[in-house]
Amino acid sequence: MVKYIPASKEDALNFLASHDAYIVAGGTDMMVLKRNAAGLLPKFDKDVLYISNLNELNKIYEDKEYIHIGATATLDEIYNHPLTPKLLKEAVGEVASINIRHFATLPGNIANASPAGDTIVIDYLLDAIVKLESKNGVRLVKAENFVLGVRKVDRRSDELITEIMFPRFSYDGDMWYKVGSRKADSISKVSVAGLYSITDGKISKFALAFGSTAVTVRRSHELEKEIEGLTQKELLDRCEEFVEKYSKIISPIDDQRSNKEYRLMVAKNITRKFIKQVGEGK
Amino acid sequence: MANIKFTLNNKVVEVDLDPSMRLIDALRLHFKLTATKEGCGEGSCGACVVLMDGKGINSCLMPLANVNGHSIITLEEFKKTKQFKVLEECFADEGGSQCGFCTPGMIFAAQSLLASNAHPSEEEVREALSGNLCRCTGYQSIVNAILRAAKEGEGLW
Repeated sequence: MVKYIPASKEDALNFLASHDAYIVAGGTDMMVLKRNAAGLLPKFDKDVLYISNLNELNKIYEDKEYIHIGATATLDEIYNHPLTPKLLKEAVGEVASINIRHFATLPGNIANASPAGDTIVIDYLLDAIVKLESKNGVRLVKAENFVLGVRKVDRRSDELITEIMFPRFSYDGDMWYKVGSRKADSISKVSVAGLYSITDGKISKFALAFGSTAVTVRRSHELEKEIEGLTQKELLDRCEEFVEKYSKIISPIDDQRSNKEYRLMVAKNITRKFIKQVGEGK
Repeated sequence: MANIKFTLNNKVVEVDLDPSMRLIDALRLHFKLTATKEGCGEGSCGACVVLMDGKGINSCLMPLANVNGHSIITLEEFKKTKQFKVLEECFADEGGSQCGFCTPGMIFAAQSLLASNAHPSEEEVREALSGNLCRCTGYQSIVNAILRAAKEGEGLW
């Protein structure tokens, strides 16, 4: 088995062109997944590429359309960067612990595609784009199309995620809610992110995304279209109807962290809270 | 096998170890630096925290490959510093260490905080310690120790 530390992005892409490998950035998820007994090497069953020292992928920058977050920027760097979208900052600030945020990365979170990945909720909500590079070129995939299922993503074996790109747009209000059993290091039982805008007395933008409540993060463009165009009063009057409709797009399960009844109730409560927030324009 | 070269306790070291090896195993088994403790082995307890480039990281989740080119400080070296002396005295005075197993990680969580925020509030101290578990103290004495260290060690951070 080959364990490779590339000297540059080009070197990494050359390696991936001929090796079907695990890609390790911070390693904070992979080292747990491949964990072995103390003193023994992690149990990797194929080649491994370590990219965390590729400084050329460490940049956070902006252009006219996007905020670009490089693949090896740590969550701590993202948290402290002035360009980081507000909701992303809030969610990142609650991922794992400060120590882990010193080396965990954003692409690592989405590439592992855990149903409980907190930053994936934000990727979906903010229409983030996953930038994949290979020797054959660049491919841009919307975050919500990139995640295919539990630990399944749309990455070809010769591709490396080099950036997560966040479209620049403004909105009037937002919400981030993480429900966990401990202040730090807790894997979410439920996480919800939402944002909205009001234009000329009507809801012009409404988006809501749920984590840890289905095999992937869930967001409904249909429901958003149904809500957009309503006045705030109309939304408030139909609050329970939309809470019910939103509860149908998720399918929480029982696991070691929580159970489906609790998750469903909490998801509905947070949805109701957000609808009221939008209705009252807070 | 790739050579891994990094700075360990202010000395450059070059080792022929497997890049996938956990930093904690390299420290304890190869370098015989046993101040770093392994608790949960999956990033939840913070007992294995050491400094990498001055910031606290969980050495049980850190592959040696990613340490390449960086600087690691363990308690064996950190205990020689003035900052440690202040933390040590404050932990002792406040009863911040009982069985002691979490203490190396707590010291580095504290150092990592104070290095970037010399005058933390109680809430900031609690936030900084939130990835480190202690089953003896109930945390209050550790929080007190760090707040006291920030005061008594004024100017050190």
